[in-house]
Amino acid sequence: MSERVTPERVKAFAAAARVPIEDVAAVRAARAVEPTVRRLDELALELPLETEPASFVAIARKAATG
Amino acid sequence: MSDPALLSLTEVAARIRERELSSVEVTQALLARIEPWQPRLNAFVRIEADAALAAAKQADAVLARSGPKGVLHGVPLAHKDMYYFAGLPAGCGSKIREGWIAPETSTVIRHLQNAGAIRLGALHMVEFAMGPTGHNAYLGPARNPWDTARISGGSSSGPAAAVAARLTYAALGSDTGGSIRIPANFCGVTGLKVSYGRVTRAHVMPLSFTLDSVGPLCRSAEDCALIAELIFGEDPLDPVTAGAPAWNKAATERPASSLKIGVPKRFYVDDLEADVAAALDDTINTLRQLGAKIVSVDLPDPKPIDAAAYVVLSVEATSFHAPWLRTRAQDYTSPIRQRLESGLAFSAVEYLEALRWRGPALAAHLQAIGDVDVIVAPAAPAVAPKIADSDPAGGANADAIKEMSRFTRPMNYLGVPALVVPVAHSADGLPIGLQLVGRPFGDETLVALGRAFQQVRDEHLRVPQLA
Repeated sequence: MSERVTPERVKAFAAAARVPIEDVAAVRAARAVEPTVRRLDELALELPLETEPASFVAIARKAATG
Repeated sequence: MSDPALLSLTEVAARIRERELSSVEVTQALLARIEPWQPRLNAFVRIEADAALAAAKQADAVLARSGPKGVLHGVPLAHKDMYYFAGLPAGCGSKIREGWIAPETSTVIRHLQNAGAIRLGALHMVEFAMGPTGHNAYLGPARNPWDTARISGGSSSGPAAAVAARLTYAALGSDTGGSIRIPANFCGVTGLKVSYGRVTRAHVMPLSFTLDSVGPLCRSAEDCALIAELIFGEDPLDPVTAGAPAWNKAATERPASSLKIGVPKRFYVDDLEADVAAALDDTINTLRQLGAKIVSVDLPDPKPIDAAAYVVLSVEATSFHAPWLRTRAQDYTSPIRQRLESGLAFSAVEYLEALRWRGPALAAHLQAIGDVDVIVAPAAPAVAPKIADSDPAGGANADAIKEMSRFTRPMNYLGVPALVVPVAHSADGLPIGLQLVGRPFGDETLVALGRAFQQVRDEHLRVPQLA
């Protein structure tokens, strides 16, 4: 199975964020993050099109008052 | 009781207001305890004895002249070193913010000051609140007052150790993945992780704007209620509190017999140390004796919540720290820098999907619990580990550290409140706590149940002894 998060990807994202990162750190970060990204892939979270981050607030407030 | 330092917050505040004790006497009593304990615990980063005594003297003069300023008149308190007091340092457990002077005062601190509280000093914390153990390679670890060879838990390490050893009557901590509940559990104190959106975080060091909450660590649920009444409610400086209800004191009187309490069927009851499993069973029996209805609940699989929370926390923390990662990366300790660098590895789409899923995850949780008022669950699967067995440096203990917070992380993502109460001591004499997990904005119900529990049990009254 190919890796989802590669050191090259980490270095590219770091460069885009203008954060310097050493090669060894990029390898370490990729290794640390890979299981989480893969797990989220496997779980295939169901996200209705209309769901946005603030939907959480609406659900929490409705539960609090309902 | 001869030593005022051993009183609860509620008791000492009442006795100062009624002039049975002076603020100076109380402050001196705490300072007398701090002196022998501090070298053993490393709970404080700054002890401001002269300033505290001067403030206490002034508080006594004001009380004599015009009565109490508020319910906490003259009560000395210390908080995690990430709460800002205008004109004073807030090091945030870091080299980067060593010597930094806060330009503003945290709104919650202003509320406590307006109620009359005075400042005793500042408390130890994990560097930038990033870690559950209490280790800090820059400051040294905070130690557990029940066994100084063990960690206090973190990231509110100093608050938990100091409250447990009776060096402060209460302390504000912060909780992004368990940082109030884990140290409260390990040190045997009562800690409230509030509902997301009910307490302002304005002018408090941020870690993750989606997951951060601030709240008290105290000697009892009753003391938590005293602090909560002062800090809950709307604040224009923190937009997530828009429309937030103030603390509802009447709701804290709800009898335990009116509550339906859920016990998880899985995950939270899996792979527990024997002492923790026994404490859970014993607590359920006590709650049943109090008249609560006990039911089993089948909560949704927490693994997706855990993964999504990890993405959100990592990316938001890295976003906050990006300016320093660009210019002062060498000033982070190695474990913290590595965690922040991991946050660079997620894509924008991954981050936003993790964030968007928060609402559906809460909806699924609410559907699963039905009309259950409170879930009771362990705060951690085991008691506080030895310092050497939980050091994040080098990565050898990574799995053990992650295990430490596996029961607390989901509540931050779901935004629900949770109260840790001490319920037992292990065979080795170490505290064991459980968390009472509420419905959104159901913080008062947790305090009601915690108080009812503590009226028939005495674990919260036990005090560690100097070795």
